[in-house]
Amino acid sequence: MSQPPPIFVVHPSSGVPIYRQLIDQVEALVAGGRLRPGDTVPSVRQVAAALGINPMTVSKAWSRLEADGVLERDRGRGMVVAVSRDREAGSLAERKAQVRPLVDQAVVRGLQLGLTPAQLMAVVKTSLEEKAT
Amino acid sequence: MNGNGVAADAIDVSGLVKRFDTRAVLDSIDLRVPRGQVIGLLGLNGSGKSTLIKCLLGLLKADEGSATVLGTAAWQLADREKARIGYVPQEATLYPWLTVSQTVAYVSSFYPSWDRAWGEELLRRWDLPLGQRVGPLSVGQKQKLALVLALGHRPELLILDEPVASLDPVARRWFLETVLETAGDGAGTVLFSTHITSDLERVASHVALLREGKVTFHDEIDVLKDRVKRLRIEAAADLPADLHLPGTLRQEVRGRQALVTVDGVDAALVAGVRERFAAEVVIDNLNLEEIFLELHDGEAAATNRAR
Repeated sequence: MSQPPPIFVVHPSSGVPIYRQLIDQVEALVAGGRLRPGDTVPSVRQVAAALGINPMTVSKAWSRLEADGVLERDRGRGMVVAVSRDREAGSLAERKAQVRPLVDQAVVRGLQLGLTPAQLMAVVKTSLEEKAT
Repeated sequence: MNGNGVAADAIDVSGLVKRFDTRAVLDSIDLRVPRGQVIGLLGLNGSGKSTLIKCLLGLLKADEGSATVLGTAAWQLADREKARIGYVPQEATLYPWLTVSQTVAYVSSFYPSWDRAWGEELLRRWDLPLGQRVGPLSVGQKQKLALVLALGHRPELLILDEPVASLDPVARRWFLETVLETAGDGAGTVLFSTHITSDLERVASHVALLREGKVTFHDEIDVLKDRVKRLRIEAAADLPADLHLPGTLRQEVRGRQALVTVDGVDAALVAGVRERFAAEVVIDNLNLEEIFLELHDGEAAATNRAR
């Protein structure tokens, strides 16, 4: 039996941007197993119409989730909960936890060397710009 | 312009100045609105919202700078271009002696592209009494009728001046959904002025803050919310009266505690505060109304300090 499509709730007047609220809810549904790998998430149009919000906002949330590997685009079915990357590398939270000790090491060393937080961030940014492309 | 002679931007305002007598009501406004965007114009009464809208529609002539709408200079908009725009003024001019359906028939005759089925659908949706004269209708009903008249020809650009001020919450929700439908396929552009920030947060992707005739912020609402945060600081010892945090909009220091609203919060800034003052820092998210108030309070406070 397929489950009914998830219901999203947004509070437009919260200080948290609407796209972030949607991202949090999808991540929670995935983490909680209510959305399983391969399950479709409602389309941008459906969510925007149901919540009475700007479609661009929903689109932004779905794109970020895709970039984070939580969702993936499935031809003909729209957005689905990512199957492939999840199995390989674990959930986003797990993958973040994995990289954390390495980051901690670098931060501690940087502070010991007398770098300011902003200078440290700049180093990380440069590294990202060189490697992420 | 692309190959079809269609301007990429629905609205392109550059260096626009409008003076009434010697007072600049609009002071060098720059505002670019790409097609398909829903943008809210937010400002206090008297900040220049209505004047800007009238300049866009060619109802007022700019003293300096330019306003281009759908690829044509606003002041030179001809009937053909005007037929691609929908406009709802703060107070709709309607003929009190005509009935609702006569009004729709009269106005629609000016528009070659009037979509009859869509017009009728809107009238039904808004529950407007077709046979009744317009004169005795309530303010809210008149507003709804004005909206039908502005939407019936499926405009490429919809400009609304405080459109929902006189609508009840249910009608407002209906209205906002209709606005989204207009913009839904990415072709329709909507600019609306309002002071109801919750409506704006729901349907607009972008916001332009207008203050004393100047655009003080113009970007995505999400970007604004991500940028402006309030720090609640509790230090180990008494804090200085001015924490000198970059991007401070407003600060309130009381002994060991401080509330500082900052434009451009990042991890480094927060870490810096924690370190410098041996402080606990909690970051509060602010909604659009709170940000709007902080921006205005902050500037007022800065002016007071300068005096």
